[in-house]
Amino acid sequence: MKPPPDDALDHALMMAVGRRDHDAFARLVARHYGWALGFADRMLGTRHEAEDLVQTAFLRVWQGAARWEPNAKVTTWLYRVLHNLCMDQLRARHAKASAPLAGEVVEALADEAPDSEERVSSLQRAVRVRAALDRLPVRQRAALVLCYYEERSQAEAAALLGVSEGALESLLSRGRTTLKKWLRDDLQ
Amino acid sequence: MDLSRFKECSAAYGAERHRWPEREHPIYDRFADTPEGRAILAEAGRTDRFLDTLELAPPDQRRAGHIGALARPAWRRLGKPAAALAASAAVGFVVGYLQSQGTTDAAVVAQLLLGPQSLQEIGL
Repeated sequence: MKPPPDDALDHALMMAVGRRDHDAFARLVARHYGWALGFADRMLGTRHEAEDLVQTAFLRVWQGAARWEPNAKVTTWLYRVLHNLCMDQLRARHAKASAPLAGEVVEALADEAPDSEERVSSLQRAVRVRAALDRLPVRQRAALVLCYYEERSQAEAAALLGVSEGALESLLSRGRTTLKKWLRDDLQ
Repeated sequence: MDLSRFKECSAAYGAERHRWPEREHPIYDRFADTPEGRAILAEAGRTDRFLDTLELAPPDQRRAGHIGALARPAWRRLGKPAAALAASAAVGFVVGYLQSQGTTDAAVVAQLLLGPQSLQEIGL
């Protein structure tokens, strides 16, 4: 799910949120919840954690809306909030050395469509991809999620990660090479 | 413009042209349809297809509604019936108190206490 394209509407909603308009906030959340959750889910690897993180992100938007610069894109700002929260969470997880629950998404999908053998095989592949993404160094994972899944421009992804576009390319390249190595059997 | 740059880009951005930076599109166009270019893109495409298998469960929009409501004041989150009940109890308390003090024009006093705008806002 991609962010909605209507910047003018987002701009108007953010201005209203800055004036503490509750209805505008609810509309802003409804517009951006889907992609924000997808981003957090791919970054963190678990739906439950992603839902909590997205809630925290939107509450930060509510609290900080008055400080929002009208020349900034709302989606870029929200990506930054989400990305920073994800990085904090991943660092905290790393410190605790807790393993992500790679199968959670597959269980959720299987509940919805438990049918064919092909489907099961596809879900198993999804588990392996998710597990492989979870094992990638955090910045390589963030680069892949932003550029591949979210289809952010190189300039935007590099700015979010605080690196040059050349360094972003290197993160992407190393990430894909590592994934290819880990997933060699599946790729053949 | 050489094949090694084409290879570097496919290793970073995959096999799809739209994922490459715009400034690299000329190099994509130059090599994509050559035998070497096709082999390189086929290799990158396998990784792309594998990445594409990562599906996510659809978002629960009720959760979005819940977040949207969190910014509302608590009394508004309870909804109009609960707010009206609370307001009635408050007005009842004021009226009862004023009557015990011998004041009869309690509604006017209550309106003065709560303000006409507040009464209108909670649907009274």
